[in-house]
Amino acid sequence: MFCTQCGASNADNAAVCARCGRNLQAALSVPGQPPAAGQMPSIFMPNYLVFAILATVLCCLPAGIPAIVYAAQVNGKLQAGDIAGAQDASKNAKMWCWISLGAGLAVGVVWGILAAIGALSSMHR
Amino acid sequence: MPFSRKHWLLAAMLAVLAAAMVTLDFFDPATSGLFPPCPLRYLTGWYCPGCGSLRAMHQLLQGNLRAAWALNPLTIVLLPFLAYGTASYALFEIRGRHLPQIFLPAVWIRALFGVIVLFGIARNIPFHPFDLLAPGVLPH
Repeated sequence: MFCTQCGASNADNAAVCARCGRNLQAALSVPGQPPAAGQMPSIFMPNYLVFAILATVLCCLPAGIPAIVYAAQVNGKLQAGDIAGAQDASKNAKMWCWISLGAGLAVGVVWGILAAIGALSSMHR
Repeated sequence: MPFSRKHWLLAAMLAVLAAAMVTLDFFDPATSGLFPPCPLRYLTGWYCPGCGSLRAMHQLLQGNLRAAWALNPLTIVLLPFLAYGTASYALFEIRGRHLPQIFLPAVWIRALFGVIVLFGIARNIPFHPFDLLAPGVLPH
């Protein structure tokens, strides 16, 4: 289950969130009612939008795009009261942010190797 | 509070961020071979929405807002939001408290997505006024 305060993933039977210490069982016993359309949901769910935008403008465009789409889904499903759907979208947004970071680092490493080879070969010339 | 794995991770991220900013301040990506080129630009010759953002950050660190704006206006516009989000995330890991959260309705995020894509397309259109959006063309 996901913590309603910080969004951290916890064991389904956890009493308190391992990350921020919120009482998870108390949160569960509150009858869930979807927030009215357009109202701000009371649950916090990370949508990783900041990382998605960073990925898009600074690092790896192709992976940043799905991250932004999933970030929009997180908030859209929260607005509709679909907590489980929002959690799925949140996970996907996070995954694409990591993919994008990995791809960006890979490009950097490949570039570094190419530059090093280029420097070496120009030394021998 | 004990120094947990999360704290080390955060400290490492902040150290990387600081190192990146110092590097960006010292080396201009426009003239230094230190930074990889944008893969899309390198392979296809097209600008992506992020092209010029590293050079813009360099100009910003040098205090040249106008030059930074000319290189990538989108990055400059989004920067305050990115800074707030990063600070909010860091503060949560350190103090366990969020800065006041901005809940963006999904429509806004989709609109932002549209803006990023349109910006990426528009800056490749080779005639006035769209050519102004290509990196470094805006007068400064």
